[in-house]
Amino acid sequence: MYKTILIKEIRDIIGSRKFLVSFLICSLLIIISFYTGAKWYENNRSRYEAALSENIRQMSGVTDWIMVKHHVYLPPDPLAALVAGVDNDIGRDIEMFAVGELTARDSRFSDDPIFSVFHFLDIEFVFSIVLALFAILFGYNMVNGEKEAGTLRLVFANAVPRHHFILGKMTGALLAVTIPLLIPFCIGSLLLIIMGIPMDTDDWIKLGLIIVSGLLYFGVMLLLSVFLSTVTLRSSNAFLLTLIIWIFSTLIIPRAAVLIAGRLVQVPTVDELDAQKFGYRSQLWTEDMQKMNAFKVPESKNPQEMIDAFHKYMGELGRQRNEKMDLFNQRLNEERRNRQNNQEALAFSLARIVPSANFSLAVMRLAGSSLELKQAFLSTAQSYQQSYAQFLGSKTDGILPGSGMVFRMINDDGQEPVPINPHEIPAFVYKNKSSGQVLQLAGMDILMLIGFGLLFFCGAWGAFLRYDLR
Amino acid sequence: MTNTVSESDGRILLEARNLSKRYEDGVLALDNLNLRVKEKQIFAMLGANGAGKTTTINLFLNFIEPTSGEAIVDGIITHIDPLKAKTRLAYVSENVMLYPNFTALQNLDFFARLAGRSDIDEAGCVDILIRVGLDGSAHRKRLKDFSKGMRQKCGIAIAIIKNAPAILLDEPTSGLDPQAGREFIDLLASLRDEGKAILMSTHDIFRAREIADEIGIMSAGKLVMQERRTEIQGEDLEQLYMTYMSGVPEPLQPA
Repeated sequence: MYKTILIKEIRDIIGSRKFLVSFLICSLLIIISFYTGAKWYENNRSRYEAALSENIRQMSGVTDWIMVKHHVYLPPDPLAALVAGVDNDIGRDIEMFAVGELTARDSRFSDDPIFSVFHFLDIEFVFSIVLALFAILFGYNMVNGEKEAGTLRLVFANAVPRHHFILGKMTGALLAVTIPLLIPFCIGSLLLIIMGIPMDTDDWIKLGLIIVSGLLYFGVMLLLSVFLSTVTLRSSNAFLLTLIIWIFSTLIIPRAAVLIAGRLVQVPTVDELDAQKFGYRSQLWTEDMQKMNAFKVPESKNPQEMIDAFHKYMGELGRQRNEKMDLFNQRLNEERRNRQNNQEALAFSLARIVPSANFSLAVMRLAGSSLELKQAFLSTAQSYQQSYAQFLGSKTDGILPGSGMVFRMINDDGQEPVPINPHEIPAFVYKNKSSGQVLQLAGMDILMLIGFGLLFFCGAWGAFLRYDLR
Repeated sequence: MTNTVSESDGRILLEARNLSKRYEDGVLALDNLNLRVKEKQIFAMLGANGAGKTTTINLFLNFIEPTSGEAIVDGIITHIDPLKAKTRLAYVSENVMLYPNFTALQNLDFFARLAGRSDIDEAGCVDILIRVGLDGSAHRKRLKDFSKGMRQKCGIAIAIIKNAPAILLDEPTSGLDPQAGREFIDLLASLRDEGKAILMSTHDIFRAREIADEIGIMSAGKLVMQERRTEIQGEDLEQLYMTYMSGVPEPLQPA
């Protein structure tokens, strides 16, 4: 009996005009999202390469490593172009210093604010807005619609166990609506290959996980609407109720969660922190200036010895000052980071009561465009800072820019100074997390989605066992 | 529980035994109903809206549980073994609304499978559709393009394909034009002649007198009159109906 109902449900859905129209719209949007994502990636790739070239070009005329201004950039990621997340909102350019604090600046949206107006037609948007609405469209009258049409009475005039019916309806709808969606995803993936977007095996696995998560979310919304169709008498009521739930779950609760968390956990702004850092730095400078003024250069006939003594003293002062500054900055940054973590944890915990938040968080983490991206980029840059400082030290006899005053004796022997070779600078490599790591990060949200799916499935099942068939 | 009752003039296939139904809101929809429909018999239940006709049908279909008493189909008490009872029962609703995106053949095939008749192939379905008066051009048409009369024919085709010994009809001729109504009544007569027991609820006094072997009038959940057609042929059934509707009827006692 279950098989009969399952097959009927699949045939009924696939044969309907509603399915044809919504399938065509969804397919078009999915393919467009892949195409625009690929184009956006290409665009970002060329900007990234241009920035790298410009960085090299600006260093090319420099003859002293101390004068070098080196930048590192966050490379574009094809998956982040498909699921934008915060990828366009965070700074992608870090000016590298041998010592001191690093800050990421120049997000894509700060460069091109037009793109932040309506944001992107990415996969996350297509699933959470468009496909979720189509899921509602297919599920809201699945049970009460049959009652209104009178077919429910005809079906149950036969020896049909209720659980066979509801199981057949739900699995039939899930299969009929989700499986065809794989076609546009396959076409989209093919488009990425044709357009030459570099994707390694790990990227494909991540993309597969993103699509699976999307279909899971789609299934959750379908089951939610089926559940509501079993607890409401009229399909129009079910439609309205599902739509209200969708609006709250997609548009209101996640935003409200962030606002509430923002009110409950105060995080100092970067400007406030900068002001404190600046104040402390000024204080240290004032103290050091007094020490510098008190410093007496040992008398010597050899000027180099005097310079060396000066450098030694200043270097030591600078080192101590930097150490204090670093400690101070670290403490402030850590405090801010902890508060930010608490705020994020609270916001996400509140938002996670709705499936759309689970879906968004899961796919952003799978695509590597979640909030962790900013910290990951900064951490990689901080690790790189050590090797960069080591490299620079080897080129400047241990004198690092930013550590204090530097006097240099220029031996004007008529020879042109030799320009530095910027290609000697160690390469900055930003490595994305592996598919296993992102799955671990997104695991909780995927499990929550599965939980929501099971909850609505069991809800629909339980409600239908007591459903008034009249 | 199987307690098939045999009588000299035919097996009882549908029986309401002291059947009562009081809804959650306190309304007594059916009050101690007793009726029997034997094979080769059409029983027409007449009555105004709210008289208890549809409640009776819902109890036979086990869409609701009786407050007391039993609805019995071919010896099977419906609320004790509803699935088994439903294998002996076919049902045609007032306004047959099948799956609009399916053709007549696809609908028939689906309901045949639900009825456990997966042995019937397309040719078998075609034969039944022709029998109910749907010509070949309609077989592969989607149901959404069907008139009400054509949908009712599909409904009766579904009842036929099930080959159940008992058939329940809920206002089957309401809204049908005279010709479609005539064809429908002819079909019922042929089903009765095949041995089916048919319980039909209707407002249509004239159709009831034309086709039914037994006529019952229901009022306020009670069967206030039950007569053989032959016994009331000469009487003005409409007048009789109005009398029972307006008077204070005494319910009939079980035979």
